Amino acid sequence: MSERVLALLVRLYPAAFRQKYREEALQLYRDRLRDERGLVRKLRLYCDLLEDAVTGLPLAWRNSYKDARTAPTIADLSGIPSFGVLKQEPLRPGSVAMGSLFSVVALVAFGLVMRLPLPHRFPNSGGALSPVEAVLERLNRVVSPATSSGSGGDGSASTVNGGSSQTRATVRPESRRAAATEKPLTVQERDQVIRAVGENLTARYFDRQKAEAAFQKLRALRKQGAYDRVVDGSTLAQRLTEDIRSATGDFHLIVVYSRNAIPSAARTQPSMAEIKQYRAMLIKENCSVEKAEILPGNIGYLKFNSFPDLTVCGATLQKAMESVGRADAVIFDLRDNTGGFPETVADVAAPLFDHTVPWYNPRATQSVTTLSPEAASRLANKPVYILSSSRTLSGAEQFTYNLKMLKRATVIGETTGGGGHVGTFHRLDEHFGMGMAETKITNPYGAPDWDGVGVEPDVKVKSADALEAAEKMAGRRVRP
Amino acid sequence: MPKRKLDPLPAAAFQILLSLADEDLHGYGIMRQVEQQTNGRTRLGPGTLYSSIQGLVEEGLIEEVDRKTDAETDAERRRYYRLTSSGRKVARAEAERLADLLRVARAKKILRGEYV
Repeated sequence: MSERVLALLVRLYPAAFRQKYREEALQLYRDRLRDERGLVRKLRLYCDLLEDAVTGLPLAWRNSYKDARTAPTIADLSGIPSFGVLKQEPLRPGSVAMGSLFSVVALVAFGLVMRLPLPHRFPNSGGALSPVEAVLERLNRVVSPATSSGSGGDGSASTVNGGSSQTRATVRPESRRAAATEKPLTVQERDQVIRAVGENLTARYFDRQKAEAAFQKLRALRKQGAYDRVVDGSTLAQRLTEDIRSATGDFHLIVVYSRNAIPSAARTQPSMAEIKQYRAMLIKENCSVEKAEILPGNIGYLKFNSFPDLTVCGATLQKAMESVGRADAVIFDLRDNTGGFPETVADVAAPLFDHTVPWYNPRATQSVTTLSPEAASRLANKPVYILSSSRTLSGAEQFTYNLKMLKRATVIGETTGGGGHVGTFHRLDEHFGMGMAETKITNPYGAPDWDGVGVEPDVKVKSADALEAAEKMAGRRVRP
Repeated sequence: MPKRKLDPLPAAAFQILLSLADEDLHGYGIMRQVEQQTNGRTRLGPGTLYSSIQGLVEEGLIEEVDRKTDAETDAERRRYYRLTSSGRKVARAEAERLADLLRVARAKKILRGEYV
């Protein structure tokens, strides 16, 4: 402890005390320092000083310093800020109690404010999504004008979840129907929806024969009066879904009914401002790379919370991958990853291989896809661990599923969320839409994918304990 | 007798009064004297020492005396302290109180006769 520490301690004393005794207190310390040599005595001196701070302070504040000169205390220490005490009296216990109370209240209030969500609302989010999700969701619906030779120019379509970017569909220009939210479906409306489903299938579905069969089946059922008693939208959507699934054997086909009007093409196109906002947001969020670090034992740890657009985040992701490039094992923490772009998923996976592998992408535009490795990646032969949770969705499930099927990674944690992938979404009218695959996608691994069921982990642990489990396993593999 | 704040008399204050019984001392001198008279058990730190001194001055039990220098520290001007008559009375009263306690302790056979 130096004299400086003592000088700081002295500043806790009343101004009048300091004014009168500061020099002498310091002198006393110097005297003792001079007289008490040897380590033991020095230590004793320091202990004394600490003890003195505890016992001396209350004493000092109890004195009234009546005869002390009451000159302003600012001259005391030039240039160093200190409290000026106007009235030379110790603080009353009541004041101290009030001060403490206000501090606690302020702290609690601050804590509460920090917990509130952003007071920001983004267009079309309806408040249900966080700003990032809202913009992502919006941008992922890439839309192009209708090109089909179908039944009219005012058709529209969009892809859900950002798959293939060329999408077209036709919708009969019939949808001037009044909001049927509460009203039962009229016969005419119902027939129009049934016809639209059949036409969309025959026009777009990758297997024309099956589409034709489904179309015929719907027509036959309608003629038999099978739908006559269906009067509400969601039941109709459910019945149509069952019927086209049984006719085609494709369980990814779906017809949906939405109480709220489904936006038409013109309104789903993101504006330049929104795209800019989305990019700025991604960069501000560090492209959702929450962590990229090396854990003890030279284990790389990457926490990605999405697989964002490569055109914006390619460099950031590459940097993150390079930061673990020399690790002996890599842990991908996808417990909070809700998916993103299939291209990004493939890009992140590529350095983990040194040969071309079959790569399953249910949203691809060609039937069979492969993943080509990067040249000379050091990670190709290193063990990989994926942390999963029930919040792991979509693109993150694709990453998890593919690496698991390729026996390239050990999945640790919980079964993933089981997000569905319906392919391309087509707007049928204001309240009906349908999802279908336009390209026949072969699953190269020959096993059912995660749609609706999720990816089972290799090692089942609570998601909160997954990192610890992975670290242990990786540690054993790295240093057996 | 002005005895509001220092009643009961704190141990440190009593020690300071005792240390000044023979001669006037400055702060460091008081500290050393107290250390001596307690066989090294009590070493008053600067905060305790000067707070107690201030308290005693305010109660009129000791008073400041200016004395220029002494041999070792000629450049410094230190405050010396002197026991006042009321200080002496208070010290005596405290000593008597302790002596009474001592008698009780001895009567109860807690303390043998070898001290005072």
